[in-house]
Amino acid sequence: MSIFLELENLKTHFPIYRGTIFRRQIGSVKAVDGVNLQVRKGEILGLVGESGCGKSTLARTIVQLIPTTQGAVILEGRNLSEISRAAVRAERVNFQMIFQDPYASLNPRMTVYDTLAEAIQTRQQIDKKLLLEKVGRLMRTVGLPANQMRRYPHEFSGGQRQRIAIARALAPEPKLIIADEPVSALDVSIQSQILNLIARLCREMQLTMIFISHDISVVKYISDRIAVMYLGRLVELGPATEVVEKPLHPYTKALVSAIPIPDPQVERRRQRIILQGDPPSPMSPPVGCAFHPRCPYAIAACKAQRPELEQKESNRFAACIRVGEI
Amino acid sequence: MALLEVENLRTYFYTRGGVVRAVDNVSFTLEQGETMGIVGESGSGKSVTCYSLLGLIPRPPGKIVSGSALFGGVDLLNCPKEQLRRIQGKRISMIFQDPMTSLNPYMRVSDQLVEPLLVHDKMSRSQALTRAIASLEEVGIQDAANRINLYPHQFSGGMRQRVMIAMALISRPEILIADEPTTALDVTVQAQILELIRQRQKDLGTAVIFITHDLGVVASFCNRVNVMYAGRIVESAPTDEIFARPMHPYNASLQQSIPALHKKGQALFTIPGLPPDLTIEFRGCPFASRCAHAGEICKEQDPALKQIVPGHKTSCIRFQRGEIADVRIKNFVSAV
Repeated sequence: MSIFLELENLKTHFPIYRGTIFRRQIGSVKAVDGVNLQVRKGEILGLVGESGCGKSTLARTIVQLIPTTQGAVILEGRNLSEISRAAVRAERVNFQMIFQDPYASLNPRMTVYDTLAEAIQTRQQIDKKLLLEKVGRLMRTVGLPANQMRRYPHEFSGGQRQRIAIARALAPEPKLIIADEPVSALDVSIQSQILNLIARLCREMQLTMIFISHDISVVKYISDRIAVMYLGRLVELGPATEVVEKPLHPYTKALVSAIPIPDPQVERRRQRIILQGDPPSPMSPPVGCAFHPRCPYAIAACKAQRPELEQKESNRFAACIRVGEI
Repeated sequence: MALLEVENLRTYFYTRGGVVRAVDNVSFTLEQGETMGIVGESGSGKSVTCYSLLGLIPRPPGKIVSGSALFGGVDLLNCPKEQLRRIQGKRISMIFQDPMTSLNPYMRVSDQLVEPLLVHDKMSRSQALTRAIASLEEVGIQDAANRINLYPHQFSGGMRQRVMIAMALISRPEILIADEPTTALDVTVQAQILELIRQRQKDLGTAVIFITHDLGVVASFCNRVNVMYAGRIVESAPTDEIFARPMHPYNASLQQSIPALHKKGQALFTIPGLPPDLTIEFRGCPFASRCAHAGEICKEQDPALKQIVPGHKTSCIRFQRGEIADVRIKNFVSAV
């Protein structure tokens, strides 16, 4: 498969200032700090990590909602970090986002028709009749009755609103969709409906998607490959099932073992790795491997040098110097 | 005798849109030292049940329409305010989902921690402070003697939840109500907090009512589970039984829709439709319209929780009548 999106040593730092008159920079939050990643066409890439690890910043940097500090975002051979803001705007019909909270991400004063029609017209100006037809088709695609297009978001339930948000993302026929925790705010029974919908759409429409979540079991279910992020860097990358079932990096191991499994018998048997402490601050990440203060396998060498994401097995990458030993 | 005995609890909210029957005829018992889970989706009435016990329902619009909750000979729902106040935060305490909004941002942690001791135990301030520092150490906060003087925003999310737990357990309560205490936390921190609650529970012999929507947490944490739907308990059983032998279609459907238990590429099971509007009075089982096993009788007869085998109760009428043996749904077409 061809490479569709490529991130080259991508960095997004937020400066921190102090003082009002003699304003000076006293440091920076390294939200994304050197990410290399390739996304293939038609692939669903899952991105997992804890809050504050930089998943959302990475997503927003890819779509250039936040400017890159260093490195490059290359979409189909064009470097988005180098082109002008106007050009980025024009390019944006090609990548759309779905957000976590469907209550906040839809404009309450716009009907579903207005919302979807606006999104369709970012790609091309079309006449009203065709527009009406297109909106109707979009609504049916996401499992909503087309006769409800004149309603406002508050007339829909949470799950239905998320369907509208998905329809809006599909409207400009984008090449890449970034879904930022699209099912985290939904109840279990609604969550499964939306996951089914996303899986079906991706299959039928050959969508390329980056699916961000903190829930590794959801990501395992939906995605082809998983990238695990810790403190602004990728620590593991590989095929979804393998990453979850045979994690290489100690952080992935801990993350997988921390998820409670809805089966009491499995729960009793399994060994749990409980990490100590909280993730460190991205303002002053630890020297060496960022995970070493919480890592049960850390040795002196882990403090000395920051490990790079390296190929450990075919298709599998990890940023840990002790992968073979543990 | 059971530590807490709740019977026929009904909590209604009288709103402009009509009467919301948030909790409708809920009965359960809690034994000394056990961990009882209440699971359900949002709006199922799990939090309102527990708020009712502690008198935390805002009235109006809320009103406890009927019921009793016997705790050591006192009916929590019908006792004088003064009596309830001596129990709240002393013998029954509570931790909430979001530790940032449930701690007072204007007060130092020390002041918030000693408050229950000053109010309930009439301790001197210095005595209370020593106890507070010890309690922070017990929940794994290092350098407690200094950090007790910080404000809540100076702690991380996981640490704040530790402070909340320390505060709830400082008066050594007999019952701890935990309302989704780990939902706002990351999984690795969630594992720490669950372990901590388990540890403290073992030390103090506290009974825990654990409210959650996460069946995974229930499986690892609770001895017994009540499944709630539309303001009622639809199934109640020991944790192993709930998962191994579900007796209510709602419980089974909920378990079947979890991605963790699915193979890749297999469509997830989905429950059709939406939970009922609780402002509209209806007859029969609240789950009937979404249930694959529902028959005519489900829409006509009001269900009641009945024991099938010792310790395992279900409110499914057709299961009670022996018309269905397995409530799991075998062949299904998933909605998308």
